[in-house]
Amino acid sequence: MTINAVKREIPDYIEGYGKVRHYQGAFARTPEGRVAGAGLRCVNSDKTDKRVSSIKEAIKASGLKSGMTVSFHHHLRNGDYVVNMVLDACAELGIKGLTLFPTALFGVHKKVLEHIKSGVVTKIMGSVNGPIGQYISEGGMEVPVVLRSHGGRPRAVMAGDVHIDVAFIGAPTADKYGNICGTLGKSACGSLGYAFTDADYADKVVVITDNLVQYPAAPVSIPQTKADIVVEVESIGDPAGIVSGTTKVTRDPLRLLISNYASKLIEASPYFTDGLSFQTGAGGIPLAVTAFMKEAMIKKGIKGSFGLGGITGYFVELLKEGLVDKLMDVQSFDLDAVRSIGENPNHIEISADWYANPWNAGAAVNMLDVVILGATEVDTDFNANVNTEADGALLHGTGGHQDTAAGAKLTIIAQPLLRGRIPCVTDKVYSVTTPGEVIDAIVTEYGVTINPRRKDLLDAVSGVKGLPLVSMEELAARAVKMSGPTDPVATTDRIIGVVEWRDGTVIDVVRQLKK
Amino acid sequence: MKSIQAGTLESMDCLVTLTEAPAGAGIKIAITGASAARFKSAMEKKIKETLAELGVKDIEVAVQDNGALDIVLGARVEAAYARLQKEGAR
Repeated sequence: MTINAVKREIPDYIEGYGKVRHYQGAFARTPEGRVAGAGLRCVNSDKTDKRVSSIKEAIKASGLKSGMTVSFHHHLRNGDYVVNMVLDACAELGIKGLTLFPTALFGVHKKVLEHIKSGVVTKIMGSVNGPIGQYISEGGMEVPVVLRSHGGRPRAVMAGDVHIDVAFIGAPTADKYGNICGTLGKSACGSLGYAFTDADYADKVVVITDNLVQYPAAPVSIPQTKADIVVEVESIGDPAGIVSGTTKVTRDPLRLLISNYASKLIEASPYFTDGLSFQTGAGGIPLAVTAFMKEAMIKKGIKGSFGLGGITGYFVELLKEGLVDKLMDVQSFDLDAVRSIGENPNHIEISADWYANPWNAGAAVNMLDVVILGATEVDTDFNANVNTEADGALLHGTGGHQDTAAGAKLTIIAQPLLRGRIPCVTDKVYSVTTPGEVIDAIVTEYGVTINPRRKDLLDAVSGVKGLPLVSMEELAARAVKMSGPTDPVATTDRIIGVVEWRDGTVIDVVRQLKK
Repeated sequence: MKSIQAGTLESMDCLVTLTEAPAGAGIKIAITGASAARFKSAMEKKIKETLAELGVKDIEVAVQDNGALDIVLGARVEAAYARLQKEGAR
């Protein structure tokens, strides 16, 4: 056992995970060695068509065997058919013991549970949620789930921590030689940012498309040089689940108040000047913050440089109106974003590596001024938990939380003090996702709570009209007064989840729930 | 045995069901829902305190919780008990 830099007691070796590198600080670990990679291939002019007739044929042609690692991207979100189609086919072919390495899983993938129970999938490295998360939290898998951030995942691949044997890439449009485009076709999803690493580093890449076009497909996100096998299917996803219609700003007055405070905090910060860059994601509060900030930017005549991350119609509007110069899009959330990335050269598709990887020559998050995030809970050391729910179940992926918090100059967590009876501020979070070292402010309906580490920020916002300041101690006391004392989560000693910091060190572990 | 309810399943509320129990049966409490995992002790304490104030010794309490604070939980128990008595008086 070792006590790491966020005061968590972590074993030095975890069964099914291996030797633990302990978390020592947000920027403590430096890489060694060289980038890992795929094997060399050689394809000559005797092969001018990479198509096979079915997913099963594609699996056979890829050489996928029991015990290997398969990867998927999550750009088709809750509409995705690809994961289920491929795993069903693997099951029918008698393949077992697969390691599933998705960029994220959604509710639509609850069928994976059957494949876990039947032994087709025996390890998951990636987010788990819903029934799968609950099943794993109660001890359903032999080996722990490994959680990595959007930047930690490409880092793990490039560092050789994870080797992808076969990447299955859902392609909204492709040609017979494997050029992939994300913005066209009935299953258009916009950016294919999360799939790039898999295409670059997997030994075999299988392109699965429902819109096969004449060679060459264009515009190209991922080129033919990465693609080994192409298979055409009826449909790769349900468009209704792939992109949401219009994402809406919250109308809840409490959340609007919180958004208003967050916007005022940004306006009072030293970053609210020409060239401002920010990431707000697609949640109700962040969208409202964006709306408030837009008003403030117009009023004060400020023009931003770029918006980053998961892009929504709101950001597209900012781009069109000249309030930001560029959008750097790793994931296009709605129809407006999908349309914009296809048409506007200032709306740039970026990979997860480009977006957030700590181990390359510099990720986009490093250039970020402000990010608005959420969390299940935050503690008095400003550590944030996004992976586990109040009852201790492992139900959420890390997303870009760690990466944007580490990169941005101002990291804000904005949310109500209580969700139901559950306080979002506690003495000690159940599990740590992101260390307080990289979190600057918490915004609740009671005002702004600044990390004492950021004295400069505290000075900048002191005395701002309409922006109450609340100390962390006051906030925590208020939360416990309203919610009452909590019972501890009842767990066994067995570890069912390993939470990696973006640099591959273990920041925390999640234990099996007692039934 | 008569049963009666108070409350809703709206967010931050709870649905309390009281069922009469014979003398000497004591107080039986069952809690399910949003806060059950982390606030069972606090909720049981609040229910017992509320029933003690009302002078109730024998009753079954079932709570379906959706994040109610103690003050709401106490009020729902009190209201359900008042309804139960009113029903009994008829």
